[in-house]
Amino acid sequence: MKPPSRTAIVAAILRKDFRAYSRDRLWVILSALMLVLLIVVFWLLPATVDETVEVGIAHRDLGELAEQLTAGNVEEGISVVEFPSDEALQRSVAGEAPLPGAEDLPQVQVGLSFAPDFRQAVTEGRESRVTIYVSSGVPPEIRNTMGSFVRELAFSLAGEELPVTEPQQEEIILGEDRAGNQVSPREHMRPLFAFMVLLVESFALASLIAEEIQARTITALLVTPARTADVLAAKALMGTLLALGQALVFLLAVRAFQGNAGALLVAIVLGAVMAAAVGMIAGAAGKDFMGTIFYGVLFFIPLAIPAFGSLFPGSASTLVQVLPSYGVVETIVGATAYDEGWGALGPKLGMALAWDAALLGLGFFILKRKVETL
Amino acid sequence: MAAATSASERTQAAISVEDLTYAYGDLVAVDGISFSVAPGEVLGFLGPNGAGKSTTIKVLTGQLSPRSGSARILGQDVGRDRPEVQARIGVCFEEKNLYLNMSGRENLRFFARLFGMPRFDPDPLLLRVGLADRGGDRVQGYSKGMRQRLMVARTLVNHPDVLFLDEPTDGLDPVSARTIRDIIREEAARGAAVLLTTHDMWEADELSDRVAFINEGRIAALDTPENLKLQYGERRVKVRTRVQGEIQEELISLDDPEAGERLRAAAAKDLLTIHTEEATLEQIFIRLTGRGLQ
Repeated sequence: MKPPSRTAIVAAILRKDFRAYSRDRLWVILSALMLVLLIVVFWLLPATVDETVEVGIAHRDLGELAEQLTAGNVEEGISVVEFPSDEALQRSVAGEAPLPGAEDLPQVQVGLSFAPDFRQAVTEGRESRVTIYVSSGVPPEIRNTMGSFVRELAFSLAGEELPVTEPQQEEIILGEDRAGNQVSPREHMRPLFAFMVLLVESFALASLIAEEIQARTITALLVTPARTADVLAAKALMGTLLALGQALVFLLAVRAFQGNAGALLVAIVLGAVMAAAVGMIAGAAGKDFMGTIFYGVLFFIPLAIPAFGSLFPGSASTLVQVLPSYGVVETIVGATAYDEGWGALGPKLGMALAWDAALLGLGFFILKRKVETL
Repeated sequence: MAAATSASERTQAAISVEDLTYAYGDLVAVDGISFSVAPGEVLGFLGPNGAGKSTTIKVLTGQLSPRSGSARILGQDVGRDRPEVQARIGVCFEEKNLYLNMSGRENLRFFARLFGMPRFDPDPLLLRVGLADRGGDRVQGYSKGMRQRLMVARTLVNHPDVLFLDEPTDGLDPVSARTIRDIIREEAARGAAVLLTTHDMWEADELSDRVAFINEGRIAALDTPENLKLQYGERRVKVRTRVQGEIQEELISLDDPEAGERLRAAAAKDLLTIHTEEATLEQIFIRLTGRGLQ
């Protein structure tokens, strides 16, 4: 009898593995749940970013100035709302229940409470006081801005110029200026979600491999015309196709292919190969279900760091940048959120490719050793 | 010892092993063994746990590469022509390494694909091992005996010319064990060479054309069960007679010049039973190696 071709053998093992996967309720349900959950959460996240800071004011004698402020005649990005009292303002900033009569007023992040004689004191050149209430989530730069805003207001009321001449400043935005067009929470989460979808399939593959080793069915394969290389190739393909399929479904469902679709596709393929390699390592190293989960998590944590890091653009340290998944995550971010071209994404993809080769090599080596020493 | 293989035997043998050695690090598991198995012959491979039986099978089925010596299956070198060899052998492992979440039928079809038989019909084989009505059920619902019968069916998927059967009836119910023994006989009758490892001396005696005693990686004896018994057993009979209402037993050695006379004398009395007292294979093994088979 003539031995069958390598392709036929790999295809037979692959077919068997997909059948085994489809009958493993745990992973099928877990994968489907994860996919649906992430898609739903994605669409529930805000699609836009409101860059306006709502500022509440409480005063006694601002008069026309208050009307000008609330009419929107202040700095861009600041919306002013008038509150009837200092206490009502405090409650709004603190997020507490409004006082009677202030139910219709919005919740503000910043509050300016002017002293009762503020206007008179300022115009007479006397010292006065403005209390700035700030919600805990307000970033420091906004707090500083409020300080300057009050100072400007005081000098304006006094009919004087600022005591110092502001130095000439020039702000140069390198790359695309995202002011007024910031990346939404939804877009921020997309790379993280996509990477989670990819990595969860590495657990499924690890489980399949561990089961095959534990039951010694892999030994039965290796006394047929199937070679160790055929088994390894089938496992790598299985893991890649599983992860790739899930990730594609997710990315299509979240309409991710609107930027640089080609680069995104390449990134997802590389990510899927990475997930397969991790699955092979975890599957060969773990002796049972818990063992594979342990080794899977051991890889999951460092690989997920760049994905979490993408939530805070520009925060990645050098250490994070050398992690295997950094290139994949950054390409997903660049291709979907910023529509970056191949020139910008090429080096990141190259790095991901190099890591894929290394991890896949390691996965092959560990699994081959495991199989041959059974 | 009949272990040595002549040149003519080697050319005709389905399995031909010459001075085969394998070691796990410093531990020599197989130490220069030589034997051959002809087509249609069943060779019983007997020895206690750790004697080197499984390692020998692993080398012969291409799972391990020998440190030295040669192993040829159907004239082909196992190490060099592994794919060709493995296409023509069937291996039944001691552990029931089946895909539990697949049906019996799916298990057989999958292995048939690995042998390049995409249109394989598993039903005749399932019928042969008595699983025709359970072929569509997942293996996880099978009993131990059913799993073992499916293991044997899987071994036969590619109509192998050489069978390696590792403890195929171990711990099975009598019906399943008989089914498997019948299949071994049928395969041998078809012309397949069978290398059978077993702890069951009765089974080895019943099925094997020859048996090899393996101990500490070496073959201690290799011959037909009959010859071994003649060579190492005692030629004697136990005669039980009733004399004046009392039962008496007498052991008569057949090598005794007066054996005929003594038997006639016993027959003249109230003869109850005569039993031959030949040694069992286990007794011979213990005598040769100084250790038991379990």
